[in-house]
Amino acid sequence: MNSGVKKSLLPQGLRDLLPPEAIHEASVMDGLLEAFSIHGYERVEPPLVEFEENLLDGAGEAMAPHTFRLMDPVSQRMMGVRADMTPQVARIATSRLAAMERPLRLFYGGQVLRVKGSQLRPERQVAQAGVELIGADSPEADAEVIALAYEALQTLGVENLSVDISLPTIVRAICDDLGLDRDAKEDVRSALDRKDAAAIAAMAGPVAGIFGGLLQASGLADKAIAALNELTLPEAAAAERDRLILVVERLSDMALGLMVTVDPVEHRGFEYQTGLSFTLFDRDVRGELGRGGRYLAGAADEAATGFSLYMDTVLRAVPKRERRSRLYLPHGTDLDIARRERTAGWITVSGLAPEKDVLTEAARLRCSHVLTLDGIVAVEKE
Amino acid sequence: MSAENNLVLAVPKGRILDQLRPLMDKAGIHPEPAFDDPKARQLQFGTNVPGLSIVRVRSFDVATFVAFGAAHMGVAGNDVLMEFDYPEIYAPVDLNIGHCRISVAEPTALSQEDDPRQWSHVRVATKYPEVTRKHFAARGVQAECIKLNGAMELAPKMGLCRRIVDLVSTGTTLKENGLVEIEEIAQITSRLIVNRTALKTQPDEIGGWIEKFQEVVNAG
Repeated sequence: MNSGVKKSLLPQGLRDLLPPEAIHEASVMDGLLEAFSIHGYERVEPPLVEFEENLLDGAGEAMAPHTFRLMDPVSQRMMGVRADMTPQVARIATSRLAAMERPLRLFYGGQVLRVKGSQLRPERQVAQAGVELIGADSPEADAEVIALAYEALQTLGVENLSVDISLPTIVRAICDDLGLDRDAKEDVRSALDRKDAAAIAAMAGPVAGIFGGLLQASGLADKAIAALNELTLPEAAAAERDRLILVVERLSDMALGLMVTVDPVEHRGFEYQTGLSFTLFDRDVRGELGRGGRYLAGAADEAATGFSLYMDTVLRAVPKRERRSRLYLPHGTDLDIARRERTAGWITVSGLAPEKDVLTEAARLRCSHVLTLDGIVAVEKE
Repeated sequence: MSAENNLVLAVPKGRILDQLRPLMDKAGIHPEPAFDDPKARQLQFGTNVPGLSIVRVRSFDVATFVAFGAAHMGVAGNDVLMEFDYPEIYAPVDLNIGHCRISVAEPTALSQEDDPRQWSHVRVATKYPEVTRKHFAARGVQAECIKLNGAMELAPKMGLCRRIVDLVSTGTTLKENGLVEIEEIAQITSRLIVNRTALKTQPDEIGGWIEKFQEVVNAG
């Protein structure tokens, strides 16, 4: 016994999924993939492990510090275990599927592994599901993926969803316009990441005014957009704001009931995003359910957007569904009857040997009902 | 995270709380009487604001409660925020209380012959190992930190190490222990902090409190 217990220790951040959580995760994953599929997205399934230089190329570079490496004894090259599936799907879209008509709609679902968990997300292995919409650079495409994430989660019964839209390029554009040097940019970034209005206000010249204004321009979409319209922005930033306005407008039709907030300065985790990005939240779940946004796919820098949902937080947001009841079939039950009951929606558990007291045996095997000669009888709860 | 309209404000015990109380009053948060009773064993307190309660915890724990969403808002010095640097915490309002600085200090005798530019490795007693390591690393100095939870000033005297990194307000404690401040790492004030998810999902409620505290600070 003792040695069995010792063997059950798993490395940090890894765990066994047991009943009923294991089936819950699988059914939630199925629900998401089904929702992606009926919106015209098609599934791709990249391998778990790839050559490091391909996996960590382009947008994948952000995952370099999170990726497990191993040596391929066959080719003697370094391989990486995927820490995020987005770069893999982008690779497929821009290489093997390069000749397919655009816009290309792809989805995926699978496990990813990370070198280290974070304090809020201690898991090192997480299931991830998401979509990529490649070769479309319009506000309609941005709105489509946000609305799809919303609909997929809503189908699973997630309530109180909200999406926070950010414009990670806007701060870069303003910094360039003001001609800030690297140190000044870093100070601005660091203060904005912490929403430290005092630090921004203390900065020199036009920096305090414009970034102070940007910090104020967050919150519910209508209010934030009104505040953004008050600001004088450089051309590139103004274009992002106009796109935001179009996307929010479309979302009010496409995603009824979705709370939309705007935070133009949110940047953490969006370092490789090249345009409108977003984070999905549930009011009752700590941490985010998923995130996504614009990026450039492949060597040809094709315009793309998409999102990933993380199953650890999504599972906390999805209400557990009432599971089907288990019916105990005593030893020797007719096979046709057993088949009929399963078609009727029961989960059947067959007795492998004759039992005197079928009710007790049924209870022992966690069945709520027993099939007897008088029909189906409920097992009394003790 | 708590249900709708059930906000929790985490405040630190001790010195900061005395300076924070008038701000809370001006912002319209009046806790139940037990809150001001130092003998009360109670940890969570109701307020006059429906759905808003207050927890009183250690200053380092305020940041932890807010980062994990157990409390939606809190009050913490930027010493604590620098030490943890949780991405889930925003610090939107400088409350302009709890002024002090975080500094490096060493025995007066040592400081006369010491040239900090030549350090390659230092051993430091501190409550802030992360801040200390980062500060020295930026200067190309490797810092070996000894984590203490209080009475840092004792460490050099007792031969634990020669230097400390600690909060300094007037410098009296340092002086009394024969220490002198040789480098300031950062100026410290207390901030109103909020949980990221709470701000994003309840922008009006949390945003309202941020505005209220900002107004109180501006008026003060």
